[in-house]
Amino acid sequence: MDGSVRLEEVVMRFGDFTAIDKMSLEIGSGEFFSFLGPSGCGKTTLLNMIGGFLTPSEGRVSIGGEPMAGVSVNRRPTAMIFQNLALFPLMTVFENIEFGLEVRGVDRRTRRATAERLLALVALEGVGQRRVTELSGGQKQRVAIARALAVEPRVLLLDEPLSALDLKLRQHMRSELKAIQRKTGITFIYITHDQGEALTMSDRVAVMSAGRLQQVADPMTLYRQPATGFVAAFVGENNRIEARVIDRLGERVRLDAGALGELEGRVGDEASLGGGAEVALYVRPEQLRPVAAGTSGDASMGGSTLVAEVESVSFEGAWLMVQARLAGSGEALRVQLGSEVSRSFADALVPGEAITLGYDPAETVVLPRDGSPRVDEATGEVVEAADV
Amino acid sequence: MFRQLAARFGGPLSAAILALLGIWLIVMVTLPQLQMIDYSLRPNLLPAQRGGPEDGWTLANYATLFANDIHRAIFFKTLWSSVLVTLLTLAVSYPLAWYLAKVATARQAALCILLLIIPFWINEILRTYSWFIILAFRGPLNELLLMLGLIDRPIRFLSGDGGVMVGMVYAYILFMVFPLYNAIESLDDNQVRAARDLGAGTLRTHRRIVIPHAKPGIATGCIMTFMLAAGSYAVPALLGSPGSRWFTQIIYNWFFEGGNWNQGAAYAFLLLVLCIGFMSLVMRVFKVGLGDIAK
Amino acid sequence: MSSQRLLGWALRGYVVVFFAYLFLPLVVMAAATFNDSRFPTVTPWDGTTLKWFGELAADGAMWQALTNSAIVATGVLLLAVPIGIATALFLNTVSSRAKPFLYALILSPLLTPGVIIGISTLIFWRQWGVGGGIFLTVVGQATFIAAYVMLMVTARLQRFDRTMERAALDLGASQWQMFRRILLPYLRPAILSAAVIAFLQSFENYNTTLFVVGYDTTLTVYIASKVRTGLTPAVNALGLILILVTVLLAAAYELKRRREAARVAGV
Repeated sequence: MDGSVRLEEVVMRFGDFTAIDKMSLEIGSGEFFSFLGPSGCGKTTLLNMIGGFLTPSEGRVSIGGEPMAGVSVNRRPTAMIFQNLALFPLMTVFENIEFGLEVRGVDRRTRRATAERLLALVALEGVGQRRVTELSGGQKQRVAIARALAVEPRVLLLDEPLSALDLKLRQHMRSELKAIQRKTGITFIYITHDQGEALTMSDRVAVMSAGRLQQVADPMTLYRQPATGFVAAFVGENNRIEARVIDRLGERVRLDAGALGELEGRVGDEASLGGGAEVALYVRPEQLRPVAAGTSGDASMGGSTLVAEVESVSFEGAWLMVQARLAGSGEALRVQLGSEVSRSFADALVPGEAITLGYDPAETVVLPRDGSPRVDEATGEVVEAADV
Repeated sequence: MFRQLAARFGGPLSAAILALLGIWLIVMVTLPQLQMIDYSLRPNLLPAQRGGPEDGWTLANYATLFANDIHRAIFFKTLWSSVLVTLLTLAVSYPLAWYLAKVATARQAALCILLLIIPFWINEILRTYSWFIILAFRGPLNELLLMLGLIDRPIRFLSGDGGVMVGMVYAYILFMVFPLYNAIESLDDNQVRAARDLGAGTLRTHRRIVIPHAKPGIATGCIMTFMLAAGSYAVPALLGSPGSRWFTQIIYNWFFEGGNWNQGAAYAFLLLVLCIGFMSLVMRVFKVGLGDIAK
Repeated sequence: MSSQRLLGWALRGYVVVFFAYLFLPLVVMAAATFNDSRFPTVTPWDGTTLKWFGELAADGAMWQALTNSAIVATGVLLLAVPIGIATALFLNTVSSRAKPFLYALILSPLLTPGVIIGISTLIFWRQWGVGGGIFLTVVGQATFIAAYVMLMVTARLQRFDRTMERAALDLGASQWQMFRRILLPYLRPAILSAAVIAFLQSFENYNTTLFVVGYDTTLTVYIASKVRTGLTPAVNALGLILILVTVLLAAAYELKRRREAARVAGV
């Protein structure tokens, strides 16, 4: 059963608006694949095209090597879990799960056996006769999964199915979904704007913005080696420092960061960023470590230091989040300090105090400066890439 | 239109939908009306004369109304009486609708609405007939008034338009109460409280806050009541006397006693024009659209 | 404040008077059934009797009219309900520049006096050689009753979550299966209500029926003719029975509706 999905130069236009712009992608059979992006990035459109609810304006979608052009929704080897689940409220749990088999003319006995097997799979034995309206949110979720699996899809499409659940249940369902995917071996295509969901469950994640793919990679690579400024800012937190390349040695680059002095960083992708290139250096908050003031930093860390003035400190339990401003440029800087800082050091972090921070250039990434994302000042969330 | 339907329901079902809609709107709604207008514009001819030289369009059937003093008087009487019935019904219904929507508790309102619906389920003829009994010369109302000493001799309620109007207000009251109730109910209680708070009296609160908000409901109720009153046959036939004929009765006579369908069609069309005219007037005065009416 | 309170009591008093006005006529009519008088009245009371029920039962023309009414109402049900459902589905699905015009046309039977619907139906069918009778009565009544059905079905259809349709198709259902298994069951309560209303509306219709009924007679037409000609309290007996039947039907329908509402609310 080949559950691979292939998109070839797919374009989706609604009037003048281009929702998906020439996208090509291959998703392997049995993969847990996520599309991650802010709302309006086109991920739902993409899912609807794979599921057959929308016909692409251009390009081709194929599933299991078979082109899907002209194949209607009810004939595709896909099944969707809708955001609001769309369980049939007038039917029992059994009737819901058996619906797909019933319309295919499968006999009652086989249907019931399948439904019971699937209810066991989603750990919901014994509720078959109940009406779906009597179930809790988590139970409904499981029924929706069982209903979709009943038609033995090659590809399961999940449209932010956890967004309606409360936080705790959502985290529980993540591992559950992952376990079900492993057990069944079906290709899962999952769309979400929640990076936590995407990173924890997926084999690979595609980050999307404005109808285009920004990067397709496994979660670890996505986090440590973002390919674009958008990904660097959207996935996890990142501090962004504008600079100019002085020179380059392999992956290492020396940067002129103006008033911040000379900094070092690692070139993320293989793009040839030579001397003089306008770049942005991305340093994650948890990579910044306090160093003694006045030194040029720990030699092992490569010698880059940043001096900032503390604005506020919030204690989050396992770590301290320090909001600071870079001396010189005045840019905001977020620093996450873990258990390695002493109590007395933490107590000394009061607003107005200067702090000197070092980092390991190998854990940073330097990217060309185009495509810098716009960050909402109020919420700190990435709104959309400015010029992609 | 077929494409949009077919995308949702598939070809066969969409074809059935369009066929049913088409039969209804064309064969049952539009063509009969057009045919009626066509009839009204032709002279009443013997079958043999149809298609002959005399068969042509003419306004003669309409001229009849204006030439006939009695018919003309009845036409305008029907118009004014229907307006009066409409206003009376509005006056009677408004306090009740206000009570249901804003004064009564939820349980009281639910009970009242059920009580209101029950007579509505009962035949218009029967409801009118009950009034016939009450208003009869030797009926209970006269007996009661005599007993109370308010009158010396029984009154002939059923000889003028009075009985007809009482019966009509009774028969159509629900078509006024429900639109009014729906409209007033959607008014935010705080608006009323705010008006009171600012020192507005009851009358002013209603005039400035409640009535403007209830406009679509008032318009709907008035349009429905007027249409039902002007088009009523049962109530004047049962409660009216020969001296208080309604325009619908004249139309009926053209069809089934005068045997002049063309003339009857012209009168029927005039009645329709009257109703459409009233509706347009109300919709303009209250600044409401058709979408507000069908609720 | 005290004038406010006075107004409040005046309003309550008004409500009581209003309901008395609403029910008194029906009570009077019912009471007259049991009066042993040749005329339908409660004054003077000539003694209590049940003979008018017997007289009614022996009235063959009444039974014929009742049968005709039942036939007509069934016919209207079969014609108006499918049309109303189809129209509601049409309005819910199609978006077109012609829609406001079509909508006005669809509503027009509700805003047209019943006599005119009867007249135009009578005139239209004459050219095909169809005269007044049961068939035309069905057609004439269905013309405006279909619009009531449409309104009731539309009200429920507007609350339908269309993701449900997508889900059904996604699970492999054909469009017809989706309609049969998902949409139609969802609309069922509204369709049943509409069917009850359609039946009753047909049963009690007079204005339209009068013009298209021809030499046949429906119960309403029969009662009206009795009122004008040979009036006896047998008419009251018939009225009383009809009132009891309708009240029982209405109560049953209302009870069912409330139970349904409670079930949905409890969800």
